[in-house]
Parts: sequence; C-alpha cells; structure tokens
Amino acid sequence: MESHSSLQAELKRVKQELASHKIELHQTRGYLQCILQNSEDMIFATDVDGMLVSFSMGGGKALGYSWEDVAGMRVNDLAEDPVSFEQFMTTSSQDGSTVQLDLAFRHKEGGTVYCDVSMINLTNREGQRVGTVGVCRDITLWKKIQEDLVRIDRLAEIGRIAAGVAHEINNPLAVIGEASGWAGVVVGEAKGLSPEDRQELEKAAKEISHQTKRCRNITHQLLDFARDSAPAKTEFDVHDLLKQSISLLKPDLKHTPIEIDLKFMPEPLRISSDPRLLEQVFVNFITNAIYAVREKGKGRIEIRTAKTDSDVEITFKDNGIGIPAENQQKIFELFYSTKPPGKGTGLGLPICRNIVKKLGGIISFDSKPGVGTSFTVRIPVS
Amino acid sequence: MKDQPNIRILLVDDEETLLEYLSKRLLKQGLTVKATFSGEQAIEAAKDEHFDVAVVDLKMPGMDGVETQKTLKETQPFLQCIVLTGHGSIETALESGQQEAFQYLLKPVDYDNLVTVIQEAYKKKMEIQETKFREQVEEIYRSGLGAHGIRKAISDLRKIYGIA
Repeated sequence: MESHSSLQAELKRVKQELASHKIELHQTRGYLQCILQNSEDMIFATDVDGMLVSFSMGGGKALGYSWEDVAGMRVNDLAEDPVSFEQFMTTSSQDGSTVQLDLAFRHKEGGTVYCDVSMINLTNREGQRVGTVGVCRDITLWKKIQEDLVRIDRLAEIGRIAAGVAHEINNPLAVIGEASGWAGVVVGEAKGLSPEDRQELEKAAKEISHQTKRCRNITHQLLDFARDSAPAKTEFDVHDLLKQSISLLKPDLKHTPIEIDLKFMPEPLRISSDPRLLEQVFVNFITNAIYAVREKGKGRIEIRTAKTDSDVEITFKDNGIGIPAENQQKIFELFYSTKPPGKGTGLGLPICRNIVKKLGGIISFDSKPGVGTSFTVRIPVS
Repeated sequence: MKDQPNIRILLVDDEETLLEYLSKRLLKQGLTVKATFSGEQAIEAAKDEHFDVAVVDLKMPGMDGVETQKTLKETQPFLQCIVLTGHGSIETALESGQQEAFQYLLKPVDYDNLVTVIQEAYKKKMEIQETKFREQVEEIYRSGLGAHGIRKAISDLRKIYGIA
C-alpha cells in the first residue's frame, strides 16, 4: 500500500519535471529562433557532411538566398572558393572551433560578400560531432569604406602635391612673363630687322606673355580651390566690398560699354563674415556677368542688395546671353566652362559655391537664354 | 612716358632673374630702379638713397617682406611699399603686422598692373610728403628764426625728405 503511494508520488514528480523541461525547451527554442531571425550575422548549421540544415535571416540578407534556396546545398558551395572552404571546415572539425577573417562568399545576384567567420563543432550528448555551426559577420561595407578612405587619402595627397606644384610654378612663370615682356620691348626697337621679321617676333613675344597669363590664371584658381583655411571673420559693409570688387575689374570694364546699376539698400549693410573670400565670390560673379553681356550692344549689370532678419542677399543680374537649360545643371561642375580655351578654367563657380557654403550661405540662380542671368548669394549676417 | 615723373623704385626679391627683366622694363619706361636681392641689401641701399616706392617680395630667405617693409619705413617714412605675395599668404601678411603696405599684389604680377599700382603709390607718397613738408616749413617760419636759420632748416628738411 505504501509502495503504491510512493510510486504515485514518484510519477507526479517526474511529470512535473518533464513539464518544466518542456517549458525550458520551448523557451530555448524561442530564444534560438529569435536570434536566427533577427541577427544581422549570417548563422548556419550543417550536418557532418557539410550539408546545410539551418540558415539564418541574416544570411539571407547578406547573400540574397532564402532558406528554400539553400536547403539541400552544401555550405562550401556558397563560398567563392569551395575547395579552400572545405579545407577550412575540415580544420575546424578537427580542432573543435576556428576563426577565419575576410572570407569571400558569392552573392545570389553575383558579386562578392566578405565575412569574418567563426565555426564551432556541434556535438551530441555523447560528445560525437553531428555537424558545424558557423557565425559569419558581413564586412563588405566596412571593407569598401576602408578602400574609399585609402582612395580619398590618396586624392587628398594628390591635391596637396598639385597645390605645391602650382605654387612652385608661379616663380618661373613670373620670370617667363617678364622676360617675354622685355623681349617685346627690345624687338620693338631693334634695328636691322625686316618688317616681316619684326612683326613675327613681336607676335611671338606677345603670345608668350599671353600664354603666361593663361597659366597664371590656372595656378591662381587651382590654389584658390585647394586652399582650405577657415574663414577669418571681421565686420564690414557689404556695399563697400561690392564697390571695391567693381573697382578691381575696371580694366575689364574699360573696353566695353557696360552699364553697372547699383541698387543698394539705402543704409549700410554691415555683416560679420570673411571679406576676402566674399570679394573673390563677388569678383567672380561680376566677371561672369561682364562676359555674358560683352557681346551685346547695351550690356547692363544690376547689383542689388537686400536684407532679412538673419541674412543678406546680393543679386547680380545681367541682360546677357543666358545659360541654356541643358547646361544649367552643369555650371557648378569642376572644369565645366563654355568660355573658349584660355578664357575660362571651369573653376570659378565651384570655388564660389565652396566659399559661400563655408560662410554658411547658399547660391541660387535663374537664367533665360537670350534674356539674361541672375545669381543670388545669400549669407548670414553673422 | 616722357611726361612721367622720375619715380625712384626699390625692388626687393630673391628671384634674381625676375628682377633682371623687371628692372630692364621699368628702366626703359624712364623710372629709376635699384634692384636688391634680400631685405638686408634693401635696407643697406635705403641708407644711401631715397626711394619713392618699394616693391617687396613677401617670402624671402633671411629677412622677410613684412620685416623689410617695416625697417624701410623707419628709415624713409614716406616710402610706399607694394608687397608681392604668393598664394594664400596675404592673410599671413596682414596678420603679421599692420605694416600698412600700399597694396598687396598676387604673384606672378601682371606687369601693366604693377606699373599702374606703382604710379598710384607714387602719387600717394608725394601727397603725404608734400603735406608734411609744408606743415614743417610753416612751423619753421613761425619759429621766428632769422633768414639764415630758415634757409638752413629748410635745406635740412630737403635732405630729410630726399627732395633735390
């Protein structure tokens, strides 16, 4: 009688234990499922022969395969080099676990996916190996960023070298310019030259001077572009700076009948910014405007200023040739220029945009072919 | 260029070939030119000779352009200096001292532009100098010196100002 009741108690205990194990198993399975579905890593499991028996969602994201795609495949068929992957699997199974960095897999759509892979033997209760579990971290993007960084670093170095070269070239350029100028003077007064020879030599000397100036424009603009000093802020009147910029261009304005119409606000427009950088922008816009109206009989450039609470606006409007619609996208591209060779470097507007951006402002423009163009610079008061 | 006044120019640049051609052209235009190849040489030259305008390279081995300009102006206070700068060094030049150069020009300079600036600098120099000269002459007259004393004082002044 007593043994019967003790047996019953024993059965109850076992039942309870089983129930709690069931709950534990359920929880573990849920936990595992959660990992397999949500981890960004590619997690797979194989049987002893390397046949895939589980493939995580992360694996699907990395390689583009779903579980249905890879079910029944051998894991080394996913690798770019299945033979060496097989060897790696063998090593791993002998050592119990192993880590391999930078392993190449093939994406479903083509292309290579790089992963850091760690593999562990899967064993049963008796300690026998029943398969392999692999956890693979996709490092493709990281590798690409690293490569980009190396490339950017090299580009920056090339930029520094170019700026250095441009700087050094300025000195011999100056000498060439002066020497050719002097040659022109000497040829002009030389005796015993036939008129044809004199003309030829004068033309040649002038050409050297002209081409030297062209080189100088290029080096100056390149250096402007390469220079990356922080803006030096001071307080100044935008109107004064505009007038100064116009006076710098007097030589260009002398030869063409261009009317410059200043529509300034009545009061001074004081702001805190970098006047040197801004002057460069102003000179550039005025130069472009002069170029645009040069062909016209009655060229007119209007420079207008306006102010909001936090910004000032300077608009340069011309009645020149305008920018054709198909070119409007390209005007801020490096080395894009519609001026004939020697007149434009294609650096002016990109430089302006960089400067204005650096000063916390924006450039906008509006252009109609045959009617004219207006550029507006908007920069903060301080 | 016959009507042009005789502007006396002091060139200071370590690039000797550049100065050779620049001097030749300026001489041809009827200017008086002294070429020196360092700040030290320029200052030495300014001890013996009067100049109206100095064209000084900013970057030179030894004494740099800013220092040269400063020292030159101590010897000849009315001298106007045009400073030639390489790219991106205008800021440095401005920061390194309010030495009030007449103008900073970017190298390599455009010859015609340089000549124009030289002429403007000369005009400014003459204006300042004449104003100051007149003031001092008036002061001498007011000082109540005798005729002989006045003549001597004015002759001294002329010497100081480098006016022949």
